[in-house]
Amino acid sequence: MKRVAVIVMCLTLLLGVNSLVAAKTLKIGTLSPLTGPYAQDGTDIKQGVLTAVEVFGKIEGYDKVEVIPGDSACDGGKATMAANKLINSGVQIVVGAYCSSATEPAQIPLMEAKVVQITPASTNERLSSKGYKYFFRMPPRDDVQAWSTVEFLEKKLKAKTIALIDDKQTYTVGLTENIKKFAKLNNLVKIAAHEHITAGDSDFTAVLTKIKKINPDVVYMSVYQPEGSKMIQQARKLALKADFISEDAVYHPKFLEVGGKATEGVYLTFAKAPDTPERKAFVETYKKQWKADSIGSYAFYAYDAGMMALAAVKKCGTAEGDALQKTLRENTWQGVTGEIKFDDKGDRQLAHIVWVVKDNKFVPYWDPLTGKDL
Amino acid sequence: MVRQELKKLVIYGFFLAIIITPMVGFKNNDFDAARVLQTLAVLIGLLVLNLIVKLVRSKRPQRAPGHKAWGERVRERIEQIPKVFTLGGLILITAMFPVFADNYMIDVAITCLIYITLGLGLNIVVGLCGLLDLGYIAFYAVGAYTYSLLNLKLGLSFWAALPIGVVLGMTCGCIIGYPTLKMRGDYLAIVTLGFGEIIRLVLNNWDSLTAGPNGLFGMQRAALYYPTFQDGGLSWAVYNIKSLPSLYYLIYIIVILTIIGVRRLDNSRIGRAWVAIREDETAAELSGVPTTWIKLLAYALGAGFASVAGAFFAAKLSYTNPNFFLFMESCIVLCIVVLGGVGSIPGIIVAGIVLIAAPEIFRGLESYRMLAFGGIMTTMMVLKPEGLIPAKRHKREFIETKSNE
Amino acid sequence: MDQSAFILQQIVNAIFLGSIYALIALGYTMVYGIIELINFAHGELFTAGAFIGVIVLTGLQSFGFVESHFVISMIIVFGLAMAYVAVLGVAVEHVAYKPLRDSSRLAALLSALGMSIFLSNGMMLSQGVSDRAYPPVFGVQGIDIGGAIITNGQIFIVLLAIAMMIALQLFVHRTRLGKAMRATAQNRTMARMLGIDIDQTIRITFMIGPALGAAAGVMVGLHYGAVRFDMGFIFMIKAFAAAILGGIGSIPGAMIGGLTIGAIEVFWAAFLPSAWKDVTTFTVLILVLYFKPSGLLGESESEVRV
Repeated sequence: MKRVAVIVMCLTLLLGVNSLVAAKTLKIGTLSPLTGPYAQDGTDIKQGVLTAVEVFGKIEGYDKVEVIPGDSACDGGKATMAANKLINSGVQIVVGAYCSSATEPAQIPLMEAKVVQITPASTNERLSSKGYKYFFRMPPRDDVQAWSTVEFLEKKLKAKTIALIDDKQTYTVGLTENIKKFAKLNNLVKIAAHEHITAGDSDFTAVLTKIKKINPDVVYMSVYQPEGSKMIQQARKLALKADFISEDAVYHPKFLEVGGKATEGVYLTFAKAPDTPERKAFVETYKKQWKADSIGSYAFYAYDAGMMALAAVKKCGTAEGDALQKTLRENTWQGVTGEIKFDDKGDRQLAHIVWVVKDNKFVPYWDPLTGKDL
Repeated sequence: MVRQELKKLVIYGFFLAIIITPMVGFKNNDFDAARVLQTLAVLIGLLVLNLIVKLVRSKRPQRAPGHKAWGERVRERIEQIPKVFTLGGLILITAMFPVFADNYMIDVAITCLIYITLGLGLNIVVGLCGLLDLGYIAFYAVGAYTYSLLNLKLGLSFWAALPIGVVLGMTCGCIIGYPTLKMRGDYLAIVTLGFGEIIRLVLNNWDSLTAGPNGLFGMQRAALYYPTFQDGGLSWAVYNIKSLPSLYYLIYIIVILTIIGVRRLDNSRIGRAWVAIREDETAAELSGVPTTWIKLLAYALGAGFASVAGAFFAAKLSYTNPNFFLFMESCIVLCIVVLGGVGSIPGIIVAGIVLIAAPEIFRGLESYRMLAFGGIMTTMMVLKPEGLIPAKRHKREFIETKSNE
Repeated sequence: MDQSAFILQQIVNAIFLGSIYALIALGYTMVYGIIELINFAHGELFTAGAFIGVIVLTGLQSFGFVESHFVISMIIVFGLAMAYVAVLGVAVEHVAYKPLRDSSRLAALLSALGMSIFLSNGMMLSQGVSDRAYPPVFGVQGIDIGGAIITNGQIFIVLLAIAMMIALQLFVHRTRLGKAMRATAQNRTMARMLGIDIDQTIRITFMIGPALGAAAGVMVGLHYGAVRFDMGFIFMIKAFAAAILGGIGSIPGAMIGGLTIGAIEVFWAAFLPSAWKDVTTFTVLILVLYFKPSGLLGESESEVRV
């Protein structure tokens, strides 16, 4: 048994070495759900990376840069299969995955193959707490985002009570649990209710009516965009008089489009948007390349991940895992979501700011780090 | 005759076009007529081929009852060769697979084998006993979670947790089986579907035990213990089944044991009782078959095999999440059973490979992958409703009922 | 909000959700009654209706027709959605189910499942992966009854759903075609002997059932404000449960089943831990079937299949 395994390992190693020698192309893989309910965000991620490759142009030492999309389908088994496929096709950098439940199993084969993995979306704390040195993440962790939210509730809104709604998924529960944790620290905001909905449902009136009866100051919607835009409409129809605050999965142009007038005045936590020429250039290129009217939030992170990886490869001259992860960790990068600097866990030092919907647009509102209006 | 068939074909093509045109033709509001025509051409081509085969068959003179079709003669020829060569060769080739395959192919093969185990287990319930089960994946979840929890909370090894998982899975099978004993046919479908969803939701909601939607992480891999003679004394060394080839061999052995188990069950008294229940429950009961127990046994055994597959799955990924056990997965396992031919072990193996590997092969089609999957499923059923490789026993029944009409 | 207003509001919520489930469940129950097949593609036909609705409604609104002629535009929207889905329903029946009418039920079930996957992915490709927004036709205006708010849209939708169910009941019991449908459902062979065109009857069933589903799809779009390619699935499961709970094959049963499922969902979430809402729905379903295996209004097994 063992011997067979050793032989096989030797063979695969040989094959691997062969492909490395032959390769003159830099291969970047993406892992994101291209089918199923999260296909929208998954497609945004794929397109963001493709735009990054387009914008970056030629890279020294390589004839061309190729992007190989992988479909993780938000499922552990499929994610490892897709990851193994990417490894076999010789990718050196993987941007993905989306769902934490797909990222976590995919981490193992990617780590063993020494492939640098940059997730543009998964925010679960556990992902970066295992000491995997090839793992990086672009968005802030769940606890960081929850901290931003609680700061905002305590210092800006001066809210006394809050009702939490989540849809019982890894990401959304991670946020509500962290909000509970941070709210208890200062004990200024009381958790008045913690309700759950089913992802994919359309009717949330039962839970919203229940919250209307409790009458909290703030309602926290820890859901994804499809549920979020329906929930806010129903809340307005029920004449629920609370402030609504939500998170980055709802920060999507579709939220405004579907929610319409109902979204007016909703607060959201999301990365700040530095007003740089790079960001403008990205927005323009992306819209032109994909014939899109608006850009999904994960496309920004994916674009940054792609640009940063390419810049790092250029800087250290190789895409080999160890050198690349060192370069990524030791330098500061400029991205369209702000400055990128990783700590030794691979997390970015970044906190979300609070945005508000005004005249059917997302507008920066308050910065929890400085405590000042924007 | 030909005219009539052609007329039927034209009408069929017309309706096909109604479905295909909007679904395949548009992409982001751009209409592509060529894509529609291509798809239609492929499908109509298939139907014409099917029609030609049918016509040629009907034109041939009626054969004497003893005469056998071409396919059957091939089958008999193969059966004449000693089993050592056919089966042995097959086992040898599949056993050598990891040597010349890359990691990705091995990973796909492992997934195929997991689903084949599930298919064989569900075959007991659906194929042999004739009970529809739309929540089968729940037992897979029970197996996965039992191993995960026992390993994480109590530190039990894979081999120690496996029998506990199987017993728990079988118990769950009985719990689900019990209320359905009174029901027949399609009511069973919704009840099993409901139970499947209940188990998944309980796993998702019971945060304190199962970590809810966060999933469980960090289970140990299955390990092999072998004696070494170091430092003059005997000691046990541990080999962790972690690399993909070694995982392949583990699931490979599980599949072979499952096949042997299901075959023996099929040919036993219990197997005959299941078939009797499937054919006519009232008659079976009157003939002295203890239907209640036999049906519960079918559920329990089917669930047991799924638990084994589940435990293996959890050990392989070292991670479980309630999201892995959605209703769609139950459907895919059911597809494997029916597509392969209800009750047929080789059919299930072939269908398992086709269904799990096909979406991987179609990755080139990218977003059209699942569309093709659904289309092929319907086409397969329409062209070959008895499955890819119908079970011998079933095939006979199929012919008998046809001649009765 | 006081207790009575709270309960009243939850009753309103339950009736609204229940009527939508009931309308979708009718499609299941009719198809099942006549060919004993669980039409898995029904959820996708429902979604297709919602998509046609949003396309037509957006078109009408772009030149301000909805504001000036509200009733006519609603008739156009519902009419086109229902007509298209009726055609699609017949096509699905002819392509995927008719060739399997004499085969095993499992084969037909899988064919339906394949059709469901095909249609859902086809809609994903043709209509996009993200939500399509419905133009806001109704807004938030409504009436206030004792603290409970009912929006104009809800009133319109529930009345329309009730009207459709009454029309269906009349059709099935008062017309020749309806009689033929009932006869076919009871005994296909016998019906054929009596000169009923079975193919024709099945085709009509596959027009009416999906058309009602399409109407429900437009209603869902109008009220919840968005359609998406995969929204059929969750409605399908609930409506399927509703159809079985009420006794599959029975039209009043589907209505009662829909309202019951709606009520269980709303009231459980209203008073008890909302995470366990779906667990309760399925548990109640299983309990009802355990004590009354043919559903609330279903005929008992022996009467149906002799």
